[in-house]
This record gives sequence, C-alpha cells and structure tokens, in this order.
Amino acid sequence: MATTTRPGGSILEDATWSGQRPVTSRSDIFPKLVSLQRSLNARGFAAFRITGASLPHKRRLDPEFENWSSGLSSGRDAFVAAYGDALLAHIETSTLPVLWSAEEKTSFLDASDFTPFAVQLPERLLSHSGIAFPVRLGAVGNGYVVFPTIGGADLPGEVILAVHSRCYKVMTDILSLDERRAAPSETLSEREIACLQLAGDGRISEEIAERLGLSVHTVNAYLGSATIKLDSVNRIQAIAKAIRLGYIT
Amino acid sequence: MDAELTTKGQERRGRAAGLEENLQIGSSSKDALIRKLATPARSGNMGQCLRVLCEYVGASHHLLARYDLVQEEGLDFVVAADWPFDLVRRLESELATSYSQSTELEKCLAVLQPKYAILPDDAHVPVGTSRQYCTVTMNVGRTRLALILLFPQDYVLSPERLREVGLLSGYALSLSANKGHKSDRDFDLTDRELECLFWIAEGKTSDEIATILGISRNTINNYITSVMRKTATKTRSEAIAYAVRNNLV
Repeated sequence: MATTTRPGGSILEDATWSGQRPVTSRSDIFPKLVSLQRSLNARGFAAFRITGASLPHKRRLDPEFENWSSGLSSGRDAFVAAYGDALLAHIETSTLPVLWSAEEKTSFLDASDFTPFAVQLPERLLSHSGIAFPVRLGAVGNGYVVFPTIGGADLPGEVILAVHSRCYKVMTDILSLDERRAAPSETLSEREIACLQLAGDGRISEEIAERLGLSVHTVNAYLGSATIKLDSVNRIQAIAKAIRLGYIT
Repeated sequence: MDAELTTKGQERRGRAAGLEENLQIGSSSKDALIRKLATPARSGNMGQCLRVLCEYVGASHHLLARYDLVQEEGLDFVVAADWPFDLVRRLESELATSYSQSTELEKCLAVLQPKYAILPDDAHVPVGTSRQYCTVTMNVGRTRLALILLFPQDYVLSPERLREVGLLSGYALSLSANKGHKSDRDFDLTDRELECLFWIAEGKTSDEIATILGISRNTINNYITSVMRKTATKTRSEAIAYAVRNNLV
C-alpha cells in the first residue's frame, strides 16, 4: 500500500503536462503548480522570481504565484526571512534542489535516494519542512519554486528530478508571458533598432549617421523615439532594455 | 457476501501490484542512474558523469561547452568531450554563429529545451552516427553551458530524458569545484563599479548616482572610465551593453 500513496506516482502521465498547448495566460500556470504540489504531497507552493539584478544587497525573492496554505503556521514572509539569503547565495553557484527541515524533530524532509544531489540547509527555523527548486535561465527569469511540507517525508529521487524539470518549464512559461506583457506599446521600427544596435556597439551618433547614410539629427531623433517607446529616460537605459527584451544583441 | 468481498479485495490487490510494477520500472532506471552518477559527480569527474548520462539517453558522444565562451579564441570553451577532435574544431564556428544570432531572452527561454541541428556537409562523423546533433542548454550560476550530443542513425532521443540529462549535468557541475575553466573573467570589476553600471542601466545620470551613493560625481565618472578601460569599450552605451550582455547588471 505504501507504494500507492507514494508521491509522484501520477506525475508522468498527468494530462496538464502531456499536451503541448502553449501557455497563453497566467491562469494556465496555477494548475501546473497545483499538480506539482500534489505529486510532492506538499502543503502549498510559491514561485519566486529574483529581482534586483546583480547587486548582492539589492537582490530579493518576489512571489509570482503562491498557494501557501493557511494550515501552515508561518507564512511565506517568514520563509523568505528565514531562508531567502541562503537561497539567493545558493543559486549563484548551484542548481541543486534545497531541502529544509522544521524545528520539531518529528517533522523533516529528506531525499536519501538523491544524495549527493540535494542540499540540506542546516538551520531548523520554521514550523514546517520543505523543498526549494532553483531555476536559472540566464539574465532574466531566474527564481525558485518552493513547496512546504508537513510531517516526515523521504522524497523519491525520480520525483525530485521530474518536478525540478517541470519547475524549469513553469518558470520559462512565466518569463514568456512576461515578455509578451512587457512588449512596448508601439513596436520599434527597423531604423530605430539599427540605431540602437550600433549605439550599443559603441558607435557615436556621427558614426551611426555615416553608416546608415542619415544625418546626425535624424539618428538622434530615432534614438529619442526609441527611448520613449521603451519607456526609458535616456538612450543608455533604452539600450539596456532593448538587449534585455531581445530587440538588439 | 464473503466471496464477493474476497474477490474485490483480490482485485484491489491486483491493481495495486500492477501499479507497483509500473512505478518500479519507472523508478529503477532513474534511481539506478542517480546512484551511478553520485560517485563521479562527487569526485568532479565530469567525463564519467557525461558517459553515464549519454548511456541513459541513448547518445553516442558528448560535448559539454561553455556556451558563453564560444565566441572567444581557442578551445577554452570545451569543458568535457569525447567527440572526434576535428568535429569539435569544425563545430566551433557554428556554435559561435548560433550563439550570436539568438537574443538573451531567446536563450533564457530555451534552457533545457532540446534543439536539433545538422552538422556541416564537410564534417566527418563516425560511422553509424547521425548527422543530426542535439543541443540542451543550462546555467550554473552565471555560466551558460551547452550539452551537445551525437547519437546513432535512426535513433530517436526522448525529450523527457534529454531534459533530465540537462538537469543532471547541471547538478554534476554544481557539485564539482571546478566549474568550467575560465569562470571569473568578469570579476575584475569592483563592487562599486558594478553598482555604478547598475544605476546607469536604470537610466540614472552621474549626478543622480552621486546622490544615491553619496560620493562625488567625479568619482562616479572615474569608476565609469575604469569600467570602459577594463571592458575595452569606447562609449558609455557600449559599456552598459557589454554589462547587460554578460549578465553583470
């Protein structure tokens, strides 16, 4: 009987994942996270994005989706306060899943199948245990998907692997939704993109004008209109945004 | 009544046993994989890890590349490989091209998604090997990696297993102390310099940054000059573009 209640039995044939239907709205994400929560037998979930770019003391975890059950005595904020810094430091060097165990010795989370590929945080700070899956996509979209658990559990390795793989999928979906939302109200014209690209490559306006056969004033006008469309205050911010949004390389 | 109960009980047992069998098939291959991977991963033997993963996914040859270094001279980008050497050389330029042709956002969205491409016509492949190759990208910290696999002709790789293999290569790299060869080329920039870059990318002027950081505007300008010298960039715009492209801000 133990095997039938073993978490993860149903994850691979779960209908939510088998269809290749593209995610079109944020409401498509929630059921996916719920199905992951079920396969881990967890008490909730939270998907965090890392914001604050590269400055170590500015980085923080922002919740994007959450279902942090009221049955857990300590909330999501308590979790971030307890383990946020450890998780932010972890994802800078590692992609290994992170486990934590509750203060009470009877409640713990282990992954004996999965050693050495899971990191156990030493401090027992909260009233519940749990597992956090780091997702590192690159310059944007990084974060964690976190599942609090109750009681003692030893997660099977194959479930951890399958869920981590899905977490990547979910965070990628969230990023692709974001990108559609963040698209500028007016799309950039070819000329504007060309000017931004050259400016990002270190060309001054005079050089860009010569290269594109335009006058310097026209180049500056293009860069100015691109700056407005990208909702930026100056051309440098516009270049940074254009790279992040993928208009230029 | 009794008879009926027994039959039902047996049926239930039968179903449970069937389920158990299914789970075992699923779990044994993955559990065995994780066990096999543990020892070489602990000792940082990437070559052995990748051979184990290739066997799991059905690939014949592996090449693990520092994707972010493919545009530089030399073969520093190779982390581990058992590809024919000539093929690595031949593919180098292909990789650099595909790297430069996709935007940062596209790269973020492509993490752990298997992609197929065809080897160049003049490349010589081992007998029986498909001319198609498969690439799976992943990030460990700020390092972007690509696992590139050759596989036997007429063999279809499982996308699910490819994702797992990508994830597990990331795990193995996270464990090994030596994360690629050249990890820290960016870190000759000081914290203050990075902080300035960050604020400039947000569109702040030197005067504004001086107020934010509580240092003089000339000091800020000195930091920026020093960044431009270290990154060999000619203008502020190019320095910011460099920083955004290399995930520094």
